[in-house]
Amino acid sequence: MIKKNFIIIIYILLIQVFANNSFAVEPDEILKNPKKELRARNISKNIRCMVCQNQSIDESGAPLAKDLRILIRSQVKDGKNDKEIYKFLTDRYGDFILLKPPFKLTTFALWIFPFIFLLIGIFIIFYYNKKSLNK
Amino acid sequence: MFKRVFTIPIILFLFVLSVFFYLLIIERDPLDLPSNLLNKNVPDFEAKSLLNDEKFVASNEFGNELVLVNFFATWCKPCRDEHIYIKKFSKRGIRIIGINYKDKSANAIKWLGKLGNPYSNIPIDKDGRIAIDWGVYGIPETFIVDSKGIIKYRHVGPVTKKIYKKINLLINEIEK
Repeated sequence: MIKKNFIIIIYILLIQVFANNSFAVEPDEILKNPKKELRARNISKNIRCMVCQNQSIDESGAPLAKDLRILIRSQVKDGKNDKEIYKFLTDRYGDFILLKPPFKLTTFALWIFPFIFLLIGIFIIFYYNKKSLNK
Repeated sequence: MFKRVFTIPIILFLFVLSVFFYLLIIERDPLDLPSNLLNKNVPDFEAKSLLNDEKFVASNEFGNELVLVNFFATWCKPCRDEHIYIKKFSKRGIRIIGINYKDKSANAIKWLGKLGNPYSNIPIDKDGRIAIDWGVYGIPETFIVDSKGIIKYRHVGPVTKKIYKKINLLINEIEK
């Protein structure tokens, strides 16, 4: 019985592993140059599909995601660097199109607060620990 | 001492809860994203026109008077739903440019013949490239472009009665 459950759990975990690797890139989109293709894929993994919003365009089957994948590939082919391509996209769709929010003045709190809370947490633990030790 | 350990988390929890409750009851559509093109110039583009042989050149069309830009397609059901409101704008005397998004031209001509054509000019966006320059992610989308050629408002989704009123008020405000 335990063994059976174990196998099922392994099976479910394996499905997760492969599900994460799924991508929507269609064969006709792929660039011939593997180096350039890899670059295009790495960029698309960071770009949000504005239609599905929680998927990257690399994983999304939405028509707009396909358009953007092709557009990114044509810009890679034209010799544009990553920064220029990201700028092209954020100029049109805003920072929201980046799956990872950039570190800016307006997103400062977003990035810094987890560390502040961590410090507060550490402080509280040590403070109460010391107190209880003194007792 | 023991008391404080319990009361602080409860107060914090209630605070977080009330923030979530507030976000729930205010009218907020998380899908309605602000446009990055707000208060910027309209993107420059050229395209074929649907109803005549003249080339559509954006720089000639914007910057003279207030214009509404409406992305539409015949395959898009919400576009059909909002069509009566687009016609109302046209009756009010507002210039509307309809960008025909990834559509079959023959279908679009038939559709407009049947439902009426509120558009003063219809550039064709065959492959959706123009829409990307406008930051469009789901048609129908409607933009208000002021008389200086600057984008003042963007609405994603069909124009409903409520949105129709809102756009009318905005136009009045912008035209002042």
